[in-house]
Amino acid sequence: MTAVIEARGLTKSYGATRALDDVSFSVEAGRIVGLIGPNGAGKTTALKAILGLTTFSGELRVLGLDPRRERDALMREVCFIADVAVLPRWLRVSQALEFVAGVHPRFDRAVAESFLRKTDIHMGSRVRELSKGMVTQLHLALVLAIDARLLVLDEPTLGLDLLYRRSFYDTLLNDYFDKQRTILLTTHQVEEVENLFTDVIFINHGRVALSASVEDLGSRYQQLTLASEQAARARVLQPFYEREVFGRVAMYFEGRSAAELGGLGELRTPSIADLFVAKMQRMGGP
Amino acid sequence: MNSTLADTAPDGPRSDAAPAAKEPGAVLLTLVRREFWEHRALWLAPLCVVALLALCAAIGRIHIDVDEAPDLSSESQRVAIFSIIQLVLAAPLYIVIMFVGSYYLLDCLYAERKDRSILFWKSLPVSDGLTVCAKLLVGLVLVPFGVFGLALLAHLVFTAILGARVALGTLPPVLAWNTYEWLRTDAVMLLATLLVVLWWAPIAGYLLLVSAAARRAPILWATLPFVLGPVLEWVAFGTRHLLDFIDYRANGIWWLLGVEKTRIVTKHGLYSVGTALEVLDFRALLTSVDLWLGLAVTAGLVYAAIRIRRYRDDA
Repeated sequence: MTAVIEARGLTKSYGATRALDDVSFSVEAGRIVGLIGPNGAGKTTALKAILGLTTFSGELRVLGLDPRRERDALMREVCFIADVAVLPRWLRVSQALEFVAGVHPRFDRAVAESFLRKTDIHMGSRVRELSKGMVTQLHLALVLAIDARLLVLDEPTLGLDLLYRRSFYDTLLNDYFDKQRTILLTTHQVEEVENLFTDVIFINHGRVALSASVEDLGSRYQQLTLASEQAARARVLQPFYEREVFGRVAMYFEGRSAAELGGLGELRTPSIADLFVAKMQRMGGP
Repeated sequence: MNSTLADTAPDGPRSDAAPAAKEPGAVLLTLVRREFWEHRALWLAPLCVVALLALCAAIGRIHIDVDEAPDLSSESQRVAIFSIIQLVLAAPLYIVIMFVGSYYLLDCLYAERKDRSILFWKSLPVSDGLTVCAKLLVGLVLVPFGVFGLALLAHLVFTAILGARVALGTLPPVLAWNTYEWLRTDAVMLLATLLVVLWWAPIAGYLLLVSAAARRAPILWATLPFVLGPVLEWVAFGTRHLLDFIDYRANGIWWLLGVEKTRIVTKHGLYSVGTALEVLDFRALLTSVDLWLGLAVTAGLVYAAIRIRRYRDDA
């Protein structure tokens, strides 16, 4: 299978700050990849590089194209929602459909209209008259109706309430995603969407801290929870991070077998959110 | 809601081949329409002026303010008034659109960054070149020539209303229709519109560049250099080359055409605007190196605006 995104040695500085520092990763087709990192970790810069919105050094192919030189061709196959509230406030809903239909070869207006019919959004409304959640719905309607191979979402649900967030991801998963599409998503709200991901890339201080499929995480990482008194016995096996929860200790191991850890306490695969915190803490915080 | 998009897409399963782009002409048309959606003043302002002019024609009194009142019993004088009115009606339209159009060019690339909608526009397969060219096309071609068409229409409406008032006997016969002079006046206005557009193109290019580049207050970037520059030059060197240059790039077109040689309103009577065709030196203007140099500079300014929009990264 060919990679949808192939990045090697991406580097980008803003003044003295290294937003991306020799970042390499690849994303296969048909995956839902979470790009996860604290604020200022370089997530948005990485996405901008992928979308051809910024200059950088290093090698990057997206759908076989160079985003720096072949951006216009790339945008026929890539959709992105950069952030909430980037739809211009003066735009009418009908004009938004008209415009995208007029410029995008893969936009199916009927799909967008049928999605909008299930919402409270009126065709004649201007974006400024819609609530934040409705603006996101409108943007989602436009994106769903574009038959793209890669969808890039940067904090698409920031500032939305739980109901809108939930329905956003449900729609994405049920109506949009199939094995030929790839979704790259950044979010702060990892707990809410971690069941969505097939792969995760942790990024911190402009570097890739972890890049793995979710199936691999299960065999690579273990979370052991045990009473504080027994912690010393487990510590011999060198957990890379531990924290105390209600008088018990949660320890995180990499590359240990169930046989080694099983007898010591309660063993399970850490959640992506827990693993993220563990990894970030070990790297010295955000 | 369980069907995927692949099911509903009429062309069946997706192929891996890159889809063909839309016809550039169709995309350009969409981009142009979008400009008139956002900047409604571009068509609202001239329409308001036309409405006002029509109102004046319906209820206004005719007062011809020249040294010696024209002899209305003479057919040639009434034809001249008919022609001059066309110019007089066009003037407010052109003045209004000059301000509205300049503001538009200055705002169009700045506004999309200010409201961050540029991220939406850039998520669609439209090149920066085509986007910027669509804006230039609107500001420099469609709006000026649209106003030319509107001025023709306003004149016809005005003439019809006055004609009706004359027929009703509420107005003395002040003007006479003459198709030949009407066409000659149209020709003068069309040529003038075309030449002004060509001569002022660098200004449009500069406004677009400022719009693409300014972090804030594009209006200051657009005006201050032309005020401060000459002042500084005068203070530092006591010279006024910069002021002369600015004056030339703004008004040189009239000198080159020889506008001062036209005789329309004279002591001996009025002449049709069409007589300017025999006087104005279109050849001198069209063969002026400065005109073509200005167009080359315009191309450079627009190219710079495109590059800035393409590679700008406001982190």
